[in-house]
Amino acid sequence: MSTVATRPAAVPRTTRRRRETVRGTVSTALGGYLPVILATTVVVLPLAWMVIASIKQPHELVRLPIQWLPSKPYAGNYLEAARTVSFGRLFLNSALVTAFGAGVKVVLAVITAYALVFIRFPAKRLVFVLILVALMVPPHIALVPNYTLIAQLGGRNTLWGIVLPGLGTAFGTFLLRQQFLSLPRSIVEAAELDGASHLRRLVAIVAPVSAPAIATVALISIVFEWNEYLWPLIIVDDPNAMTLPVGLTLLQNSESGSAAWGVLMAGTVVVILPVLAIFAVLQRWIVAGLTQGAVTG
Amino acid sequence: MNPGLSRFLPSRSGDIPGGLQVPDRAFDRRTFLALAGAGAGALTLAACAGPSTAVGGSTPSATSTTDWAGVKPAKQVSFWSNHPGGSQAVEKALVEKFNASQSAITVTLVTAGASYEEVAQRFQTALTGGGLPGLVMFSDVWWFRYYLNQSIIPLTSLLKAVKVDTADFRPSFYSDYRYAGEQWAVPYARSTPLFYYNKKHWATAGLPDRAPKTWNEFAEWAPKLMGAGLGTQKAFQYPAVAGYAGWTFQNNAWGWGGAYSHDWDLTIDAQPVVSALDWIRKGVQEDKWAGVTANDQAADIASGAVSATVSSTGSLVGILKSATFDVGVGFLPGGPAATEPVCPSGGAGIGIPKAITPEEQLAAATFLKFLTLPENTVAFSAATGYIPTRTSADTSALTAKAPQISTAIDQIAVVRTQDRARVFLPGGDKAIADGFGRVVTQNDDPQTVLTAVKAQLQDIYARDVKPKLV
Amino acid sequence: MFLAFAGPNLVLIALFTYRPLLTNVYYSTLDWNLGSRTATPVGFGNYLRWFRDPTSLDVLRVTAVFTVATVGATLLLGLLLATALNRRIRGRTAARAVVFAPYVLSGVGVGLVWLFIFDPTYGALSALLRLWGTTGPDWYLDRSWALVMVIVVYVWKNLGYAAVVYLAALQSVPQDVLDAAALDGAGALRRFTRITVPLLSPTTFFLMVTTMLSSLQSFDLIQVMTKGGPLDGTTTLMYQVYVEAFVNGRAGYSAAVATILFVVLLLATLLQMRFLERKVHYA
Repeated sequence: MSTVATRPAAVPRTTRRRRETVRGTVSTALGGYLPVILATTVVVLPLAWMVIASIKQPHELVRLPIQWLPSKPYAGNYLEAARTVSFGRLFLNSALVTAFGAGVKVVLAVITAYALVFIRFPAKRLVFVLILVALMVPPHIALVPNYTLIAQLGGRNTLWGIVLPGLGTAFGTFLLRQQFLSLPRSIVEAAELDGASHLRRLVAIVAPVSAPAIATVALISIVFEWNEYLWPLIIVDDPNAMTLPVGLTLLQNSESGSAAWGVLMAGTVVVILPVLAIFAVLQRWIVAGLTQGAVTG
Repeated sequence: MNPGLSRFLPSRSGDIPGGLQVPDRAFDRRTFLALAGAGAGALTLAACAGPSTAVGGSTPSATSTTDWAGVKPAKQVSFWSNHPGGSQAVEKALVEKFNASQSAITVTLVTAGASYEEVAQRFQTALTGGGLPGLVMFSDVWWFRYYLNQSIIPLTSLLKAVKVDTADFRPSFYSDYRYAGEQWAVPYARSTPLFYYNKKHWATAGLPDRAPKTWNEFAEWAPKLMGAGLGTQKAFQYPAVAGYAGWTFQNNAWGWGGAYSHDWDLTIDAQPVVSALDWIRKGVQEDKWAGVTANDQAADIASGAVSATVSSTGSLVGILKSATFDVGVGFLPGGPAATEPVCPSGGAGIGIPKAITPEEQLAAATFLKFLTLPENTVAFSAATGYIPTRTSADTSALTAKAPQISTAIDQIAVVRTQDRARVFLPGGDKAIADGFGRVVTQNDDPQTVLTAVKAQLQDIYARDVKPKLV
Repeated sequence: MFLAFAGPNLVLIALFTYRPLLTNVYYSTLDWNLGSRTATPVGFGNYLRWFRDPTSLDVLRVTAVFTVATVGATLLLGLLLATALNRRIRGRTAARAVVFAPYVLSGVGVGLVWLFIFDPTYGALSALLRLWGTTGPDWYLDRSWALVMVIVVYVWKNLGYAAVVYLAALQSVPQDVLDAAALDGAGALRRFTRITVPLLSPTTFFLMVTTMLSSLQSFDLIQVMTKGGPLDGTTTLMYQVYVEAFVNGRAGYSAAVATILFVVLLLATLLQMRFLERKVHYA
């Protein structure tokens, strides 16, 4: 099952539209609206609960019987979170790490996938398999060896020290390789006959028609870099180089119990919002992008 | 996969608008073999890094015989903390105060994790890869491993060199870190369990306004609390199995005349401990006036879901903040065999790593002296609810703010050093707490379970501790 | 030319993924305690110990239940949801964004929110159940229910990913095939099971592999919600790697468990390839 890279849904959609007019609305309601409403509710409610908890006073959070809504919106949790964590600085660090890390990762994934699909090389299959196997290495085991290496290179408390070990990307390469394989050979061959270099073929032809898949890899990389916790925690001890998830640990403390709940929820909201915003922007592309990776996988 | 599908619908694939054949043979048999080969290759190769496997291959940088008089303190030193009890702000203030007070040493405060486990994880990484701190914080169940692994230094001569008034530390707290004739850490964020109760519930049930003296007395009170129409779920809530259970159960074990261990002699399967655990089981499983919390017993009492609980003194500030009723506190109740000392000590201490320079160790000790000055321990306590570790600390400001803390301070007089089975055996706390959970939440037989726990502890001792004791 | 393009990425993967993997295998042959600077070589001792330990079987059972349940539920519910989202309904663009949203959130954040919801004392879920007149199970004290809880949250977080992938694949199911089947008198259910589902099998395979890999390596949710408890009821292989190293301090033993986990991942992937290859051919 495969389809062309651009506008995968265009033709079936028109066909379906015709059929919809014939069919009754009952099945649309039962098979369409009902599960969708159910699913969106199940997704939205916990997120809403988190936001509500973040504007409750401490005693309202652990009330019996439960108090669903705060008696009045309470900003104290956000103020407390802002007092404990210097969000501005951490935000900047996280943004830098994410932009740089995800940016390089996407470029590496694109050129590696291009090489795997379009450039002749004897051991190509072995290289691909090695990349696939890399997906199966549990992340925890890399901590100590990578720390030792980065520390020897002088990368502690530096931006590149945080970013470097994560730059090699197996998942992104895998996904993009599947996408590139689905491209018609003819469009690349035409450019080859014109004498275009590999770089030119990649930039002018392959990358533009694969934009959705690249956007998907970008989103997954951004999400990963933004949420990464353990590695930045270990490689950084200068508060000025901390990232946002590491900073959040300042709000979690072992013995303050329920009093810290609201503050924690406030901090979580602050960390989650930027990723949701980026997702909202990229999501139209992503739906199409995953089409490629999935269909050819 | 696509070749497969083409076979499934061979005549159709060409009809798909814009469809094309995809030359994807990603997962054919050759791939299999290559995958398997890559895995086998990884298994046969070995890389050389990490710990030394040479016998006696440790390289001591400083010992108790170092002549500290000839050492000049380093200019820079860091302090690793997980800010227990929400202490980030007060620790930062103390570090800034120290840096401003003199110009020879600059201390950096490092958030090394959200929990003691995370700090330990980082510390271990740094032991292998470099970047050790001057001071590291560890909980009661962690410090002995650092001693066993020879990653911290003995402090007696160093503390003497920087003139720390060690006699002023609360003796029961200070002696917790004594082993093999040496001092391995100093007390810092120290706590004990405390009995918390809801004064409103107590009054409604017609109980005297105090904590019960013994657990048997509370067993008489519990039905009254349950029958007073308070709308509570349980009269009493035990700490979470994955939380404080292994810590607070010592109180019951001691009260019934037993102990988890005496030195390295494991006695957790002896009759007194079994009876204590069976008494708890009855309260939960048969009489049903007690429960075990899902997450945080401190939240359960603050919400009014239960009338009483046992929790750390470090929870005091949090409970007072979220409770809408008067909170009463008292000493931990005793048992049929003993009423004091039945309160375990607890909390965190600070040590100095071995694999740093003597200059750094001296600078670290200089800051440690400042950090544990009486007025600074009071500042730390005021922000967290931990107990000031110095006897000469002026606690009047603390007790004025939250009178309950004086009970916590008074209880130190009857504190008992914890059993080695819990604090010296790596993973011992979890083994004990899991045994507690098996009996109390699953209604298993106490004797059977504790016998199994003893075997587990014995295994840990034989495997991870005994070979390293000198 | 190939190396100029793929080289940097390959060097990075070799340096920061394969090198640690080999180091880990070396560590697994040592009796090495967390933080200790000396260790004793024990050969396969750590592996033998793991295979002899009766709790390993329980860990494997929990791992199997967790993986099969999360992968199965994610794929099944994802397909159903995708079918619904594939219909022409109002607001489906917004709905697609919403169902995908949990996938982009951090595991720690998600775990914290759900921890609060499942709390049997003051959590929102038990409050809702009380409205229905029941109290709900002891999510945090009962081994089986705790596992169910973690599975539910994991599926919640990853369902949108499967749904969106399936949705994309559904859009390329040729409508004329379905139309032809409808003319032949095949009902909607029959068309779905006989045509749509087989046509989706490559997608199902892709999802099976990727969700299984991430499910077997999931850590954050378990750490935040249950810490592997109660009584190891939610301790998966991945979590055992963590507990052995950082709670019990057995770094060498933990490395051996990590290697076992790696082999399990490898075998599971190979098995799936075999299984699905056949499935795709003869479905």
